[in-house]
Amino acid sequence: MLAILKLIQSIIKTLHSDGTPGQVAAGIALGSALGLTPLVNAHNLVIFALIVLLNVSFGGGMLGWALFVPLGFIFDPAFDAIGRSLLQAPALRGLWTAWYNTPLMPYTSFNNTVVLGSVVAWLVLAVPIFFAARYGVARYRATVGERVRRSRFYQAVTASKAYNVYRLFRPD
Amino acid sequence: MAVKVFRWKAIAPLLVLLIGLGVLVAIFAEPIARSTTEEAGTELLGTEVDVGKLDLLPRQTSVELGALQVADPFDPRRNLVEAERILVKLNPEALAEKKVVIDNFVLHGMRFGTTRKTAARPATGGGFAAQTLRSVRQWAGRFDVPLLRLTPLDTIKQLVLDPSQLGTVKAAQALASSTDSTRMALQQGFKSLDVESTVDSARALATRLSATDPKTLGLDGTRKAIASVKATLDRLDQTRKRVATVESQVKEGTRLLRTGVEGLDEARRKDYGLARSLLKLPTFSAPEIGNAFFGKVSIDRFQQALYWAELARKYMPPGLLPREHPGPRRLRMAGTNVQFPKEQNWPAFLLQVGQIDFTVDPSAGALGGAYKATVQGLTSAPALYGKPMVVRASRSAAGSAVAGIDVAALVDHVGQTARDSVAARLRGVRLPAFDIPGLPFRLDPGTGSADLTFALRGDQLRGRWGIGSDQVAWALDSARGGGNSLEQIVWRVVSGLKTLDVTAEVSGTVKAPRLAVASNLDRAIAARLEAVVGEEVAKAEALARAKVDSLVDDKVAPVKQRIAAVQAQATERVAGQRVQLDKVEAELQAQLERLTAGLAPGIKLPKIKL
Repeated sequence: MLAILKLIQSIIKTLHSDGTPGQVAAGIALGSALGLTPLVNAHNLVIFALIVLLNVSFGGGMLGWALFVPLGFIFDPAFDAIGRSLLQAPALRGLWTAWYNTPLMPYTSFNNTVVLGSVVAWLVLAVPIFFAARYGVARYRATVGERVRRSRFYQAVTASKAYNVYRLFRPD
Repeated sequence: MAVKVFRWKAIAPLLVLLIGLGVLVAIFAEPIARSTTEEAGTELLGTEVDVGKLDLLPRQTSVELGALQVADPFDPRRNLVEAERILVKLNPEALAEKKVVIDNFVLHGMRFGTTRKTAARPATGGGFAAQTLRSVRQWAGRFDVPLLRLTPLDTIKQLVLDPSQLGTVKAAQALASSTDSTRMALQQGFKSLDVESTVDSARALATRLSATDPKTLGLDGTRKAIASVKATLDRLDQTRKRVATVESQVKEGTRLLRTGVEGLDEARRKDYGLARSLLKLPTFSAPEIGNAFFGKVSIDRFQQALYWAELARKYMPPGLLPREHPGPRRLRMAGTNVQFPKEQNWPAFLLQVGQIDFTVDPSAGALGGAYKATVQGLTSAPALYGKPMVVRASRSAAGSAVAGIDVAALVDHVGQTARDSVAARLRGVRLPAFDIPGLPFRLDPGTGSADLTFALRGDQLRGRWGIGSDQVAWALDSARGGGNSLEQIVWRVVSGLKTLDVTAEVSGTVKAPRLAVASNLDRAIAARLEAVVGEEVAKAEALARAKVDSLVDDKVAPVKQRIAAVQAQATERVAGQRVQLDKVEAELQAQLERLTAGLAPGIKLPKIKL
């Protein structure tokens, strides 16, 4: 419950004041990888580390994750098809064979159709997601953001002590 | 103001998180690995695999398994193999590539055929092994193993046959219908020929010309007359060609009808068999007795060999093309994992050499002693390993002529055509008792020998299974009161036999296997039964044939007559039309000669050949 509360706090704060729209959008773009691709994979450990270590909005990362999880499930068949076509492409067989026989590479599960397809799809979509999110956050802040900030719900959420933990990951 | 790229203060919490993850892995890795091993083993082998204990030894890159049980896929209350402790030393370099290469394999406390405390779960689902198990069971069903019929002849009162049961009657009805169709088609063919009108018009022309003097026709009239003769001869020739076409149709139609008549004879033979089976006549053919006595138990052995061969073909495929396997089970779609084997590299799984030493307790009798088994080249990519898998097991104690086990298996999937073979030779072993199908007898072969050879080359299979014993014990099912009179005769024959020598051979292809079983019992039982009931059985068979004939003859004879009539009429009609055409053609040729002689008297023109 505490975790969910923290997540809601982080998302709401993210949309209002924590970081520039660019930082929030970068967080969302990185977080979308966690949602679009199967979570328990080595690449997501790297993505999570980037969200934490880079000066992007952590809340944005969590928001991106939450937003893109359902899309990941919906588009799994498409990812499977993309991954299959890439893994079966004769021109790429040499690359896959080399990677498959390289230490540690197989642990990335790149040879799984859904993992490869979803990672490639995310790489292609990351930049459009970034720009769309940056525009969306800026528009939000300029329009309904101030009204939400004055609402009782917002006041209650930000008053929680758990929010303080999140502050550690606020963008500078 | 410069924008900071890194959030340095987050490094410490991230490290704490990673350490936390590491602790979780350390705590839960072994239980997860144990349950995964059980799940994967069950999925791979199509039978329940239980692991009592699993210890990961990261420093030695080893895994230690304890209390391993692999249930027999064909008998859920039995373990195929049980091992107290297995130490598997993994190759670290291969492990870095997510490949399991076993450098060393030590197995202790191995036992075979032990009874399970709880019955194994049946293999279900769509896994390959479960599918193979089902298909192998269906394969076993392809063998036609009849039950031994030992019904006393005094129960044969009468034979009641329903004509609708008989294939001959159905075949005769179908043939009658196709005869009518053929007759109609031929009639239609003759009608479309319209030979009569062609012949009539040609004859009319010949008659008209014969009444004309070529000298009175003049040059132009003669030329016109010759042209009309030639045109009529052309029409006659076309009609002759159409007659030839109809003649070939007649031949084809009558050939089909003759085939139908042969089908009637075949159907009648089957009906004799049906009538015989309704009489439940006792069997005293030696091959049938051998099949009935030992067919099922032999098929069980071959079925098991085929199952393991099929699994080996799936998990050890030839070639180096990318291979697809289902992805890991997860909340998201599993997808497909594609393996990319590469020459001069590790396969995804390889057991280079496995040595198994096991001891059979001396209390087990002559079989007690030390045994040694080796497994070489068990791999998921035989083409990479380059050598076939070899399994050998034998008694390691000296002077083991009295009792022992010799097993050798070769799984050669290095080339494109898979070649699998196994040869097992057991001496002085306790052979399992089994019931004789359809009879109230139970056979306990006691201690004896068993041999199995099985080879699968491509789709071709060849196998031989044999058991021999001189300590045979027979038991009669007292619940059935000792059986009927014929069963008692067989019982007297078999109960006096103390030796048993059975040989079963399977051959053919996997899709169309053939089984032949022979034993020392067959001839003894067959000879005794023939002496006792042979004459009566012959009479009953004659009765069955007569009954079938009485029901079938009045259906078959008219059809045969109708076919003969159609054949004769069609042939006669073709011949008649040919004669008519020949005759009128000759008349026209004569007129043609007469006309051309008038054009240039004294000069003989060549005959117009059409």
